[in-house]
Amino acid sequence: MKLKLNINNKFYNTNIDGDESLLDILRKIGFKSVKKGCDTGTCGVCSVLIDGKPTLSCQFLAARAKDVKITTVEGLGKQADEIVDLIVSEGADQCGYCGPSLVLTTYAMKKELKNPTVEKINHYLTGNLCRCSGYEGQLRGIKKYMGVK
Amino acid sequence: MRFDKFVQPKNLKTALEILKKDPKSVILGGTTFLRISDKNYSTGIDLSALGLKYIKEVGDQIEIGAYTSLRTLETDPIINKYFGKLVPKSLENLIGVQFRNNATIGGAIFGRLGFTEIITALLVLDCELEFEENGLVPFSEFISNWKIKRDILKKIIIKKNKGKCSYKMMRNSSSDFTILSVAVSNFDKIRIAVGTRPAIATLSIKAAQLINSDKNKIEEAANLIAEEFKFGKDLRAEGKYRKMIAPVLVKRALQEVLK
Ligand SMILES: Cc1cc2nc3c(=O)[nH]c(=O)nc-3n(C[C@H](O)[C@H](O)[C@H](O)COP(=O)(O)OP(=O)(O)OC[C@H]3O[C@@H](n4cnc5c(N)ncnc54)[C@H](O)[C@@H]3O)c2cc1C
Repeated sequence: MKLKLNINNKFYNTNIDGDESLLDILRKIGFKSVKKGCDTGTCGVCSVLIDGKPTLSCQFLAARAKDVKITTVEGLGKQADEIVDLIVSEGADQCGYCGPSLVLTTYAMKKELKNPTVEKINHYLTGNLCRCSGYEGQLRGIKKYMGVK
Repeated sequence: MRFDKFVQPKNLKTALEILKKDPKSVILGGTTFLRISDKNYSTGIDLSALGLKYIKEVGDQIEIGAYTSLRTLETDPIINKYFGKLVPKSLENLIGVQFRNNATIGGAIFGRLGFTEIITALLVLDCELEFEENGLVPFSEFISNWKIKRDILKKIIIKKNKGKCSYKMMRNSSSDFTILSVAVSNFDKIRIAVGTRPAIATLSIKAAQLINSDKNKIEEAANLIAEEFKFGKDLRAEGKYRKMIAPVLVKRALQEVLK
């Protein structure tokens, strides 16, 4: 079926099968920042924003994406740089595989959490797995971004 | 999951007709669970544009549309106002925010999975389900007998009873499945549900009878739970372990609602 997608405020025309995931379609179009990890809904590396809400693109059917706004990390521009710089300044970026999804989720978290605390931040980010950094450095950077000591 | 055709019927009547006519068709919820199954379907029926995403207070009850996401439910002010946050507590540890933004309450209920925590929670509330074909069905009836297999869940209706509720669970690590979930409510009487045994949640009869006859018998009622239910084994815990943990969680929940 034919589909027109709004990705980072630009329109893309594409052909999909009804049962294809948004993840596969985004990667086919060229958004390689959206990673394919577990493909079972547990690791978080395929996260994108759907109408501003962090969502696993491996579970989201592409066919349902025709009337929504999709944001990948490329679409955040300078706002992503700010988060990345804070994480990198804590020496936290290693292989970088989980980076784009962590940055996107952190960006959405700042918009959503009214009174952030370390506990709330940790809980919000439970769905973002990282297999090499050990989280501590990343969290130091993220706490700075969230204005939490 | 694979399907050949993706359809978006204009209304629920047409959706039900497709579902009934074609035994290989399937209703698509958030597809979080469907996606990881190995099944092939002919038609995926999408109801996401049919106005089934809402939470509203109607008189003495709360109505929830079946396509409401678990995250919306968890953070909704109406839902957070009632039942001592029982519902949000049963959802907030399910994988991560990104998962819960996609998974729907309809899919979580209709799937009838043993580890679905919201089922444990809803069992201790006065809850009914509204289906397109079968109409209104008490929640506990839908969960305990598998008579309804092919229908469309439209909404979940919860009575705004006043009283205390408690939710307790145990998981080996955060965002993993629970190895046990317990919900207790104290409205006109005390209700106790135990889930992930690993079988689907069920209401207690014996322990509930005991505690309702004497509110001081918390310890005895909690211990009776271990005898009343069968506890099985899966990848995450032995039956023996669950049997030891269950009375502890039930005791804590009872203490909370009787405080
Ligand atoms: C990796 C993973 C981890 C999980 N961990 C937990 C956990 O820790 N705790 C917990 O409580 N749960 C857990 N779950 C279960 C989770 O709650 C449910 O799988 C999920 O909420 C299903 O919702 P869905 O909308 O994606 O349903 P789907 O996967 O789309 O559908 C599930 C079933 O319901 C049917 N269905 C969906 N909507 C309707 C409707 N309106 N009417 C009729 N039938 C319908 C579908 O046809 C299908 O049979 C986990 C699931 C997964 C995949």
